[in-house]
Amino acid sequence: MTASILQQVKAGLNELPAFAVGDRVRVATRAPIGHYRVPIYLRGGVGVVERVIEPALVDNEEEGYGRNAGNKRHYYRISIPLPTLWHDYQGSHRDELHIEIYETWLERA
Amino acid sequence: MATGKHYHDHDHGHDHGDHAPITAESKPGYYEVMETAVRELLTEKGYITPNDIRHQIEVLDSRTPALGAAVVARAWVDPAFKARLLEDGRKGCEELGITFYDDTQLIVLENTPDVHNLIVCTLCSCYPRPVLGLPPDWYKLKPYRARAVIEPRKVLAEFGTQIPDDVEIRVSDSTAVVRYLVLPRRPEGTQGWSEERLAALVTRDAMIGVIPVSLDKEAA
Amino acid sequence: MATEDFVSRLPNDIGGFEAGSVMRVEHVLEPWEKRCHALADVLDFKKLINTEEKRKGVEALGEMLIGKLPYYERWIVAFSNISFTKGFFTPTQLAEKMAEVDARFAEQDAA
Repeated sequence: MTASILQQVKAGLNELPAFAVGDRVRVATRAPIGHYRVPIYLRGGVGVVERVIEPALVDNEEEGYGRNAGNKRHYYRISIPLPTLWHDYQGSHRDELHIEIYETWLERA
Repeated sequence: MATGKHYHDHDHGHDHGDHAPITAESKPGYYEVMETAVRELLTEKGYITPNDIRHQIEVLDSRTPALGAAVVARAWVDPAFKARLLEDGRKGCEELGITFYDDTQLIVLENTPDVHNLIVCTLCSCYPRPVLGLPPDWYKLKPYRARAVIEPRKVLAEFGTQIPDDVEIRVSDSTAVVRYLVLPRRPEGTQGWSEERLAALVTRDAMIGVIPVSLDKEAA
Repeated sequence: MATEDFVSRLPNDIGGFEAGSVMRVEHVLEPWEKRCHALADVLDFKKLINTEEKRKGVEALGEMLIGKLPYYERWIVAFSNISFTKGFFTPTQLAEKMAEVDARFAEQDAA
C-alpha cells in the first residue's frame, strides 16, 4: 500500500540533518590553512545542538573560493558552556557561547 | 586605527591627537579614488549600473535601529507576535514590512530574568543590518570582538551593565548565515504605553545586548 | 611561536585574545564608505563577488595590512584584488582609471 511506498523514500545525500536538537556534539580539532569560519577558540569544544538551521546550505568555507553550488548540508546552532572553553573563566558556570557551525565540522560526542 | 578619520567618542574624553578631521573640502583620499575607479570600471564593463548602487544606498539609508525598536515594541505588546518572532526572526520582521535584502536569517534572542544575551562577530562584523542598519565602529574593532567571548561580564561592565552571577549570560557569535537581534526586557513602569512610546525607549545598544532598556535613557 | 601557528590562524580570528577596554567609538559614514558598502551588497546580489569571497579577500590582505587599514579601505582593496583574479579589470586598467579620477577631482577643486 502507499504506507510502504512512503517508507521507501530515500533522501538525497546529506539532505537530512545529521544531528538533532539535544544531540551532544564536538567541534573538530583540525587546523586548516586557508579560509575557515570556525574560530580557533572553539576547536574541540563540546556542546549541545540548540537548533537545526533550515534549509541545507552551501558550505561557506567553499563559498569563499567562489564555489556557490554543490552538495548542501546543514548548519547547527550549538551551545557550549563558556567555562569549558577558557581556563580561568570569570563568571557564572551556566554562561554559554552560542554559534552556528557547519555539519562538516561536527562529530557526535 | 590611523587614517585621518574623525571619530565621535561618546563616553570617553578621547584625545583625537593625530587624527585630522575630514572636511567637505578635503581632497578625496586614495581609497575614495580607488572606490570611484572600481565602481566606474565595473559600470563601464557592464557588471553593475549606477542605479544598482544608488538604489542600494537608499536601502541602507532606510535601515536604522528604529526598525529594530519597532520589532521589540511589537513583541512586548503582542505575545502571539513574539512567539512567531522567536520561532523565525526574519519572518517576524517581514510581517512588519522589514524586508531582508540579503540571504541572511535572523534569530531573536529574548532576555529574561534568568538569561542575558549579547551578540558579537569575532571573525569579522556580522550584524543584523536589515533590521538595525550599520554597526558602530566599536562592534567591529578588536577589543569587543576579542573579549566578548572570553569575559562578557567585564565587557558589559565597561558599558555600565552589571549582570548578577545568578543570571546566565549567552554570547552569540555570528559566523555564517544567521544574524541575531536581542529582545531586551521591557522596563518596569511602562504598562499601557503605546508601541510608539515603547519603541522610543529601545536603543541600538540594547538590541546588541550591551545595555538594558531603561526609562532613564533616551533612544539613541 | 612555530610558523605553522601563523599559517593556520587567520589574522581576523581573534576571539579570546587579549585586548584593551572597549572604547565606544563610532563615526558617521563618509559618502565613499557608504558607496563602498552599497557596492559590496550589489556585488553579492549579482554573485559577482559574494560576501564570503569578500571576507576571504580581506583575510588575504594579511595581518599587517589588516592592522593598518580601517574597515572600508580593506574592502575596496580586497574588491580590487578579487576583480583582477576574476578578470573584471586589470591592475593597469585600475591604475589608469584612478589617475583619471584623481585628475578629475583636481580639476573640480581648482574650478
